Amino acid sequence: IHPNGKFFVLSDGEGKHTTVELSEPLDEEISGVIEVVGRVTNQATIMCMSYVQFREDKSPFDLELYNEAIKIIHEFHDYFPFG
Amino acid sequence: GGYTQSPGGFGSPAGTQAEKKQRTRSQNIVPCTVSQLLAAEQVDESFRIRDVEISQVTIVGIVRHAEKAPTNILYKVDDMTAAPMDVRQWVDTDEAGGENMVVPPGTYVKVAGHLRSFQNKKSLVAFKIMPLENMNEFTTHILEIVNAHVVLRRNLMEASRGPQAFPPASMGDMGSYGGACSLPLNGLTAHQSQVLNLIKNCPVPEGMSLQELKAQLHSMSMSTIKQAVEFLSSEGHIYSTVDDDHYKSTDAE
Repeated sequence: IHPNGKFFVLSDGEGKHTTVELSEPLDEEISGVIEVVGRVTNQATIMCMSYVQFREDKSPFDLELYNEAIKIIHEFHDYFPFG
Repeated sequence: GGYTQSPGGFGSPAGTQAEKKQRTRSQNIVPCTVSQLLAAEQVDESFRIRDVEISQVTIVGIVRHAEKAPTNILYKVDDMTAAPMDVRQWVDTDEAGGENMVVPPGTYVKVAGHLRSFQNKKSLVAFKIMPLENMNEFTTHILEIVNAHVVLRRNLMEASRGPQAFPPASMGDMGSYGGACSLPLNGLTAHQSQVLNLIKNCPVPEGMSLQELKAQLHSMSMSTIKQAVEFLSSEGHIYSTVDDDHYKSTDAE
């Protein structure tokens, strides 16, 4: 997380990094797996509209598996429409 | 009050059994995305997503909004595939705890319920709303959706194509394509017919080997093939040639 709290870097299920920019600085500490909903910018960063922290208190989240699942639904977009 | 049976929404539907045309109500609970539910067409009393009949469904999403009323709680659940969907949960005012606890917005939940449409607006009536404790359930739900719809659609297509080589399915038949047990029709089950046809059409003098049968019949296990061969052999449809692994048909030219 950047010191000014307006950016943070996420790494995804394949180990790739991306920068997420927030409209307002973070007012809390976050760590772990986060789901960010936002728009991709021209500089290949994400402009964050909202985020949700995943619960990992009971069991850890398998990010690589999730990544694979996402690839599958894009492959089978017939069965998983996006509005 | 409400529904006494709670499938829990975890299991994928019994999609491996071919749905018969005669059945008017889907017995399955099908995992779906909100966008699929919105796209479902209504045919009289039931809904269809591209010919797959659905009634009870599960969705997984985030609670965006929760509104408590005296008799029910109205949630808006968002799974990112479409706008948040209305989910209504009826509250038993006499029941202490349980349904009276409202799920806070921002929580991921799994909803199991019935699809409803009112004035062209779709919503769900939930019989179970469970906050997700393990986020891997989210991944599982995504995969279950793809799997369930693929399997259900494939079963429908197989059922409607209609068996040509095999006699038509009779009452009580659970789908003869790669299915478990089938009623004997014309004296032979689907498995046995398939095995016999392959053996009949084999031009090689030493006949069809069990290995070849297994290679051609992907859906059948070796033991199923062997059982079929034994039956056919005892009935006199086939006979062994060079060894017990090779068979020819008695009906062949």
